[in-house]
Amino acid sequence: MIGSKKDQEVKNLKGQIEDFENKWKRALADYRNLEKRVQENQIDFVKYANAKLVDKLLPILDDLERATAHIKEKGLKLILNQFRNVLSSEGVEEIKILGEEFNPVTMDCVEMTKGQKNQVVEVIQKGYTCQGKVLRPAKVKVGRGK
Amino acid sequence: MSKIIGIDLGTTNSCVAVMEGGKPKVIPTAEGRNLIPSIVEPVKNLVGDVAKRQMILNPGNTIYSIKRLMGRKITDHEVVKDKKILPYKIVAGKNEMVMVEVEGEKYTPQEISAKILQKAKTDAEGYLGEKVTEAVITVPAYFNDSQRQATKQAGEIAGFKVKRIINEPTAASLAYGLEKKKAETVAIYDLGGGTFDISILELGEGVYEVKATNGDTHLGGDDFDQKIIDWICDEFKKDHGIGLKADAQALQRIKDAAEKAKIELSSSKETEINLPFITQSKDGQPLHLTQKLTRAKLESLVDDLIEKTVRPVKDCLGDAKLEAKDIDEVILVGGQTRMPKIQEKVKELFRGKEPNKSVNPDEVVAMGAAIQGGVLAGDVKDVLLLDVTPLTLGIETLGGVSTPLIERNTTIPTSKSQIFSTASDNQTQVEINVLQGERPMAADNKSLGRFILDGIPPAPRGIPQIEVAFDIDANGILNVTAKDKATGKERSIKITGSTGLAKDEIEKMTKEAEEHADEDKQKKEKIEARNLADNLVFTAEKTLKDAGEKVSGDDKKVVEEKIKELKETISKEDAVIDEIKKKTEELSGVLQKVGAQMYASTSPGQGGSTGATQDQQPAEEESKKEKKSKKKDEAKKEEAEEGEVVNE
Repeated sequence: MIGSKKDQEVKNLKGQIEDFENKWKRALADYRNLEKRVQENQIDFVKYANAKLVDKLLPILDDLERATAHIKEKGLKLILNQFRNVLSSEGVEEIKILGEEFNPVTMDCVEMTKGQKNQVVEVIQKGYTCQGKVLRPAKVKVGRGK
Repeated sequence: MSKIIGIDLGTTNSCVAVMEGGKPKVIPTAEGRNLIPSIVEPVKNLVGDVAKRQMILNPGNTIYSIKRLMGRKITDHEVVKDKKILPYKIVAGKNEMVMVEVEGEKYTPQEISAKILQKAKTDAEGYLGEKVTEAVITVPAYFNDSQRQATKQAGEIAGFKVKRIINEPTAASLAYGLEKKKAETVAIYDLGGGTFDISILELGEGVYEVKATNGDTHLGGDDFDQKIIDWICDEFKKDHGIGLKADAQALQRIKDAAEKAKIELSSSKETEINLPFITQSKDGQPLHLTQKLTRAKLESLVDDLIEKTVRPVKDCLGDAKLEAKDIDEVILVGGQTRMPKIQEKVKELFRGKEPNKSVNPDEVVAMGAAIQGGVLAGDVKDVLLLDVTPLTLGIETLGGVSTPLIERNTTIPTSKSQIFSTASDNQTQVEINVLQGERPMAADNKSLGRFILDGIPPAPRGIPQIEVAFDIDANGILNVTAKDKATGKERSIKITGSTGLAKDEIEKMTKEAEEHADEDKQKKEKIEARNLADNLVFTAEKTLKDAGEKVSGDDKKVVEEKIKELKETISKEDAVIDEIKKKTEELSGVLQKVGAQMYASTSPGQGGSTGATQDQQPAEEESKKEKKSKKKDEAKKEEAEEGEVVNE
């Protein structure tokens, strides 16, 4: 009787050991995977770290462009160009779309209007890519055709 | 064995999470966002953000809010209502079940939802780097059997084995670990983009059951935005007599600004809405929109919307046959609950009970689903909660500085070790003073214990290597060991209760550290400057001694002069830090010249330049050694004063 009780205890303990081993391995594996992912993320992060900052600056670029449309001041135009150059050096590119066919990857349709079906009729807000990735899709009016 | 992910399949947005290292983590989409808009264009096979962007272009083909139609019949009251609002074609399928028709093709709501779930699957696999085949999907508590079945089917069509369908409020409770707190009754106040849901749950047999639900299916954050947009346009019309709503560009800018302002007012008392060149006046002059919106004004604008949530809450309590005071815990779900006024209202509705809101309200349901997934996967039989050490642990070093070894909030068990050294020549013992706290000066922290390691062979200062190791086990017991690497001799101390501080004690200490941060920083800088100066004096003297004849009499005199000046400066109790730094630099400058000379006149391989080499050691470690050693110096002085003979 005592023997089988001891056996049972040993069996339970062995089961526990196996359980702990598995949990430990799992935790370690999760950790290793996280390490790998952190490394990958860091590469991504370095690549797109500036994207968020650029995103904040885009509305100001929009306003500067509006200002230069209304105020014919050479100095202002110079500032605008300067700003554009800096953004360009960070890999920011304007999404060229006027006259193009609507593409939801790079554009956001905010209104339908008179015009050729599925063609971009008017750009409400310019879109930009940063390092090849869409940073801010362009907001456009699209033609509804007949 | 692959992971079981948790999916919050929402009306407006969906969110995916998974257990990682025992904690739920939201999986970002391929676009880098945490949420997937629940929008599908089945013909072009567009899902999420991409589908949303062409919605206006393609209203008949773009399916949104499909959740409203899941598992319903064409004759359901809800469907009849929605049919009037939704722009896409809703038709009857088999057994009068609702279907959507796009370009002649009929789709079940399950098939549409499956496309969203499919994207969730693909993005998750991309992120995790492994196949994902199992999921836990959440549904509203009021979903009936047919609706739950439909959701399960959607998962299966997407290629998932749906391990479980759980209620959204239950998932939210799991995310907060409320079942561990044994909260008997929980209320979930869920105000998202388009719908409001209130649910009351009761804990029975370790599982939460839904007692009652209520809400408003057409009340959400979007309505709040609209109030602000309307106000902005009205104010502008008042000031300038021009309506902006007809101008697509202006309206778009106002929409964006309104949402941004709403979000900002959750943390600031007021915000400015600036939209230059918004339009032109009748005579062609550019007009600018500048309006200040205060939190108070915003609250008055949306007051009636917030009031609309009161009746459903009261009705829900009534249905559950409970009173507000009977609720143990309240959880906030949905982005709009970030608004302070809403939080205030919720607190008021539940008799002053502080709601749980620390988990991101947009993600909390997905997190809870992930936790459930973890439990089902077996790797979280008991959500293993690991403790953290609440305050930084370290030792006292040269100059009375507190040198950290284990930073606060480090998960335990853990261990960390670092090498220190002696402060004086022929110092044969070191005292380890174990400290706990955030202040940079040892005297301002709590001493948990001290011990002495002796028997260190006599050597010049900075030479011995004493390894100090901190080890905290899973129970929070701290073992500190000091070992002399030369002799192997070691001493240790065991400290219990280093993690068992009361919450308010921890808060107090952390707060004090913040308050004194500036003056502490100055104190520490001063000490470090002194230590550096002290070390440099020692090095300079040694260098001159070692150099001997290799240095000309004149040069030697210059260095000795600078040594004297520096010594004088630091001997003054109230020496100004800038003065110390200046004199240190001056000495350093002339010393380097001497060092250069020594190299020039020496053949390679000579060991006479130990002085110069010592300077090249990483400053941090060097000064640490010095700091540590000085303490021993002081300790020795104290002992000497007490009459003990310190063996040199």
